[in-house]
Amino acid sequence: MTSPLPSVKTPATSPATPSAKPPGARPVSRVRRQLPTSPWLFAAPGLLVVGIFILYPFVSTLVNAFTDRRTLIPGTFVGLDNFRELLHDDMFWTGLRNSVLYMVGVVPALVLLPLLLALLVQKNIPGITFFRSAFYTPVVASIVVVGLIWVWLLDERGLVNAVLEAVGIGRVGFLSDQWLLLLSAMAVTVWKGLGYYMIIYLAALANVPRELHEAAAVDGAGAVRRFFTVTVPAVRSTMVLVAALSSVAAFKVFSEVYLMAGPNGGPAGEDTTLVMLVQRTGTGLTGRVGYASAISVVVFVITVALMLLVLRADRKEDA
Amino acid sequence: MPTSRRALAAAAAIAVLLPLSACGSGGDDSASTDASGKIEGNITFQTWNLRANFKPYFDGLVKDFEKKYPGTHVKWIDQPGEGYADKISADAAGGTLPDVVNVSPDLVAPLAKAGLALDLDKAAPKYGKEYLPGAWASHQIPGMDGTYAFPWYLNTGPLFYNKTLFRKAGLDDSKPPKTYDALFTDALQLAKKSKGKVATLANVPTIEDFGRYGAPLMNKQGTGFAFNDAKGVELLTKYKELYDAKALDPQALTATPESTGKKFLTGAVAMNPGSALDLQKFKKDAPSLYKNIGITDQITSTGKVNMYVMGVMVNSRTKQKPAAVAFAHYVTDAQHQMEFAKKVAIFPSTAGSLDDPYFTQQDGSDETRVRIAAADSLKNAVNYTPVLFSEQMKNELRNSVAKALQGKESPKTALDNAVKACDRLLQQQG
Repeated sequence: MTSPLPSVKTPATSPATPSAKPPGARPVSRVRRQLPTSPWLFAAPGLLVVGIFILYPFVSTLVNAFTDRRTLIPGTFVGLDNFRELLHDDMFWTGLRNSVLYMVGVVPALVLLPLLLALLVQKNIPGITFFRSAFYTPVVASIVVVGLIWVWLLDERGLVNAVLEAVGIGRVGFLSDQWLLLLSAMAVTVWKGLGYYMIIYLAALANVPRELHEAAAVDGAGAVRRFFTVTVPAVRSTMVLVAALSSVAAFKVFSEVYLMAGPNGGPAGEDTTLVMLVQRTGTGLTGRVGYASAISVVVFVITVALMLLVLRADRKEDA
Repeated sequence: MPTSRRALAAAAAIAVLLPLSACGSGGDDSASTDASGKIEGNITFQTWNLRANFKPYFDGLVKDFEKKYPGTHVKWIDQPGEGYADKISADAAGGTLPDVVNVSPDLVAPLAKAGLALDLDKAAPKYGKEYLPGAWASHQIPGMDGTYAFPWYLNTGPLFYNKTLFRKAGLDDSKPPKTYDALFTDALQLAKKSKGKVATLANVPTIEDFGRYGAPLMNKQGTGFAFNDAKGVELLTKYKELYDAKALDPQALTATPESTGKKFLTGAVAMNPGSALDLQKFKKDAPSLYKNIGITDQITSTGKVNMYVMGVMVNSRTKQKPAAVAFAHYVTDAQHQMEFAKKVAIFPSTAGSLDDPYFTQQDGSDETRVRIAAADSLKNAVNYTPVLFSEQMKNELRNSVAKALQGKESPKTALDNAVKACDRLLQQQG
């Protein structure tokens, strides 16, 4: 078969040029061993930033996980002691439980609700831009401000409890009960994330051919049927992406729980998540940096495993 | 020049090995304590959330010092209150700790153990007698010789109560509780009469509360905690009764000092500890509450109220030791503490200052009444919080107390577990 590419004539090397090699030399392999400088120079600023702010802290955390390092006291190598201690640390298991629960609670909502919202605001009708912006507003709001507003709303004497009391239900301890606190924090995460994932879905929905919907409608499919047979398959890969992104974010949750449950992680620390535990254990003048690093390594491994799991599930579906 | 793979491999190896170099490098414990010599050079002074309200005072202080000691230059930096300990730990770990640092005793302890706080008993022993003995001792660390910071200002405060809420509950608003028993009885009545809508207290007991109640906090050697004795269990049992009756706010388990202050301002809580500083806040933010505010003494079973101590520490690795020590002393000497006390509701830690007419003569105002009462109680006050009680230990105690209040553990088991956890952390501190 003939190559579709035109043949390229390379100039013959003049025997008089300095690059002329003596018999037996291996110029090709030498070129291979040496990388050109220019691309690296272009990439250098970015690589430097990545090296200093990502690679170095990452490697440092890995190393510290095997030491008994404290904030002000350099550590010594302790092997797997930190990981052994984790197995017997009740607070670690509490943190793991809460992080997993958070993910289980938040991810389905963040995969489905933004899709429904995107379908709602996808249509080009007058005034729809206002709603698109309104749904996106929580995304750009500061998490601290959002957290504080929700704390005021859900407080024992807040607006929500005032309404519940007025309709005869009575006050609910959203911020004092361990499970309600976790649920409240999940609600804030979902509320704040809706707009972000909605935008991703809007982009995906724009690529779904209108003809598919028209054909399905002609075949007698109703709105619900079209949603499951046309829309969902068309945006499935986006749903996988949203699931991957939101599960990693949910597993690493910190701000929402910290703001609503307090620095101690709720009553008796029962709402502590793994990242909160890292912060609480490893910071301050008496912080146990080595132990906190070990928890970080566990968080990292679980996060990578999650990503691989989601990608594998996606690949299986494709196959 | 082409970049070889070897160079890239070397860069990767450095990234891996550099963090390893931090292991076992050890601190430089060779810092000298000699602070003699000419007072000169540039030093940095760090305060804790003071610039917003006291900039002119500190600008003047720095200017006067530089004038008194020509050749010195003081750079004043101020850090926000939130995350101050984290800022200091980052500076200490990074070798950028300022020369003179505003600290509290619990911050001094780990810095002293890491060899970063100058021992004033060696570097400046002559100044010790200028301060109240209790205040000077507040920066001494169990298990270590020496004093590691100049005492600066002290604070203590009364217990504020809402007279309206007391009256509504059928209590005599002119007779606030003076003992723990009276406090618990009144609190239960307030909760009962308000059908659980008004709590009397909004904070779970802290280490300071156990101390004030009369529980021993540490053993005599300072090598282990002891607040799980009969008195400690008794206090926690009483708090459990209050919690069950909603006389202790249901959100107390997750409360912060800010949130409890707000609850008192809005009339959701009947009593709250505070200081003379809070009176101004009540006047401004809650005028109706201010009209009905009652002021009573801190409740204590030991006869000694709690005091908070601020200190000024000298970085042992400062290159300008004479100037740093001189400035730390200058900030905390009797004259300057007195000047500062007249600008804000704090109390000097220098000997004799509390006998000044400013702290002894009434002028009829509430502020002065609170100030004089506080100054009087400070003469035999105690800083109940052990200097070795770290943030992690506070968390352990708070979690155990919460478990007891929720009924997940008995008060005795909860305190035993808290002591065990705190002892383990103490041993890990070294």
